[in-house]
Amino acid sequence: MNRKLQFRVSLSVLAMLLVAVVALAACGAPPAPAAPAAPQVVKETVVVPQTVVAAQTVVAAQTVVVPQTVVAQQTVVVEPTAAPNPEAVIPNVEPNAEITLWTFWLSPTFDDYIKDTIARFEKAYPGVKVNWEDHQATFQDDLKNAFAAGKAPDVINLSVSEGWVSDYATKGLLLPLDDKVSQDVKDLYFPGLWNEQIVDGKNYQFPWYQGMNVELINMKIYSDTAGLKLEDFPKTIDGLPALCKTIKDKTGTLCDIRLTTNDLLAQMVYEGGVDVISKDGKTFTFDSPEAVSWLQMYVDMVKAGTVDKSVLVTDQDRVGLDLFASGNAAFYQTGPNLIREVRANNPGLYGYLAAVPAPVGRSGVLGKGLMSLSANAATKFPNASIALAQFFTNPQSMLDFSKLVAVYPSTPKSYDDPFFAAKPIAVEDSAKPIAKDIISKYADIVPTIPHKADVNDIVLQAVQSALFNNVPAQQALSDAVKKANALLAQ
Amino acid sequence: MPKKLNLTPYLFLAPALLVIGVFILYPILAVIYYSFTEYDIVTAPVWIGLKNYQQLWNDEVFWLALRNSFVYLLVTPILIVLCILLAIAVNRKLPGINAFRAIYYVPVISGSIAVGYAWRMLFDTNGLINGALLSLGLIKESIQWLAEPALTLPIAMALTIWLGLGYYMMIFLAGLQNIPEELYDAALIDGCNGIQKHWYVSVPGLRPQITFVAVISALAALEVFNEIYTLTGGLGGILNSGVTMVFYLWKQAFKLQHAGYASAIAMALLVITLLFSIVNIRSLERGTEQE
Repeated sequence: MNRKLQFRVSLSVLAMLLVAVVALAACGAPPAPAAPAAPQVVKETVVVPQTVVAAQTVVAAQTVVVPQTVVAQQTVVVEPTAAPNPEAVIPNVEPNAEITLWTFWLSPTFDDYIKDTIARFEKAYPGVKVNWEDHQATFQDDLKNAFAAGKAPDVINLSVSEGWVSDYATKGLLLPLDDKVSQDVKDLYFPGLWNEQIVDGKNYQFPWYQGMNVELINMKIYSDTAGLKLEDFPKTIDGLPALCKTIKDKTGTLCDIRLTTNDLLAQMVYEGGVDVISKDGKTFTFDSPEAVSWLQMYVDMVKAGTVDKSVLVTDQDRVGLDLFASGNAAFYQTGPNLIREVRANNPGLYGYLAAVPAPVGRSGVLGKGLMSLSANAATKFPNASIALAQFFTNPQSMLDFSKLVAVYPSTPKSYDDPFFAAKPIAVEDSAKPIAKDIISKYADIVPTIPHKADVNDIVLQAVQSALFNNVPAQQALSDAVKKANALLAQ
Repeated sequence: MPKKLNLTPYLFLAPALLVIGVFILYPILAVIYYSFTEYDIVTAPVWIGLKNYQQLWNDEVFWLALRNSFVYLLVTPILIVLCILLAIAVNRKLPGINAFRAIYYVPVISGSIAVGYAWRMLFDTNGLINGALLSLGLIKESIQWLAEPALTLPIAMALTIWLGLGYYMMIFLAGLQNIPEELYDAALIDGCNGIQKHWYVSVPGLRPQITFVAVISALAALEVFNEIYTLTGGLGGILNSGVTMVFYLWKQAFKLQHAGYASAIAMALLVITLLFSIVNIRSLERGTEQE
């Protein structure tokens, strides 16, 4: 009895469920979203001749006719595919990569530019997300701490001129690029800039925006008071002592010249044409006659009282720039991009500004690169990181940046734009027509220097002793070489 | 019956102990460890034993920095004398005296970095001081104050004194206001003049504040950094003329990336300041007991 009853109840429940499902299907289901057009498949029966081999009984091969259904015609409806983005030149970018970019002192002035470029990048490499942070005065400290904590950014804006790329690359913290980037991509950049800061034969940076030092001239002092002409500004650094003496005698103002105290070895190489270390890298040689002659030039200027000593040995470009911007110096060597600072701080001086090419050092090399983008060696997304660094430094991004501020592209193609050919009107633009020629000749001629920071500190002390403590230049440099060689021996 | 462990006090102490452990104890222990290593912050430290301390012993700049730090201690007696005089001056019921007191306190709330840069502008070759001296005919050519090694420390010390004047003055002012008026009356009856009144009443009455200011300002002087950094543009002065212990520590750690060596300097600084504070407090306490 019970079993029968159970069976009937089960049947009733099943029937009710079926009714409910049918009713729901009939009227309760919401209308489905419009499905994409499905591929239409037209099928027909064809005859395919096949050779069948009997499994067990080995007899002669037999040709049989087997009816089989195959797809004879297929119409596929697809979304139109966009043409490949010409700016996406790095292959195998990791899907859904999320990478971080650190820039150095670009916010807030260039927020829009950076954000727009990131948006273009994310469009060129769909699925990659970029988080951007700008770090300023504490950039180096922040970066070192981030590396120590294992949380360094994937893509880092490093200064080439300050030697940051080689500093981090030597420690194995940056990603070598040579075998990860095709020759076509390498060819986008000036060879001299691509090959800057080579560490153990490898390149670790995409050259980014470049600076070009010019001499900003305060015509009020230089021309009106001292009676000098722009075309007479020295073409080489050897002309500076005489110029400073003339300006001091005629105007009473001191020359606003700065030694690069953070990297005096590099300054010796470019300005003095000095071989700072032997070819085998085992002995320092910055006490050669060329080095002594270079240092003596500055010693003579200090003794003659023609240079501002506090600017001469400051490690902050801003100190010299401030002196110039205050209207108390005849000239100052800086990038045209910093003319905006002069205009902002002393608009009255802006109308008296002129710019001439910076004097060339005894090495004859015009200069070296300014900024670069490198990828973190420990990044989880090496290809995406390389892609971002490359994207920011590609011809279009560089051109866009150059239109915002007086910086210069590392990519020859950018200079084909009429923007660079246009006749300069503002003093900031005065270097534009000659920029390609100058930037193309930039080269890093400073050899790899072991214990670089320590040796530079030793050289700084030697230079200061000669400048301010009456120690003869030769003795100061020879003593410094001994100390530096002792470091090598450790 | 075993005594039941009462956890309540430990729970109350826990937050403070946690903060002290994370932000004081751990860094001290880490610095002790790093002082025996070669460490550049970005890569892992390598154990080198006592090498950093040997290097420290033979390092001329370290001894120069130590000497400069002790020279810097001169700010302490100058601050004490100036602040007591100032506190006595403003401890009078005059119209607008509160505004006067507030003005002296402005440098304290201005921040040493901002004040340091302001002073740097004052002492620039084309700064206000040279401008004033030139216009008064006292000099014929601008003095390059910040490029004279002999002037680096004195200018920095003057800045420290100016910065601390208002703060320490307030401490002495509070002390003066706690001295009973009757003592001054008694001193006047005993025939003291205005100066003697303060010498025999105010100064002894301010003994606890003097001890406090002496210890605090001396420690601050031994650890001076901001003034040197801003005035010398991060160089420490020409020929290391302004390099003090903490500045040298910073330079080694963050400029030359020798964090291990900088940790050894920090240990030396810890020992020196500890010894100095003990001697300082003992001698000042002995003076109090003798009175």
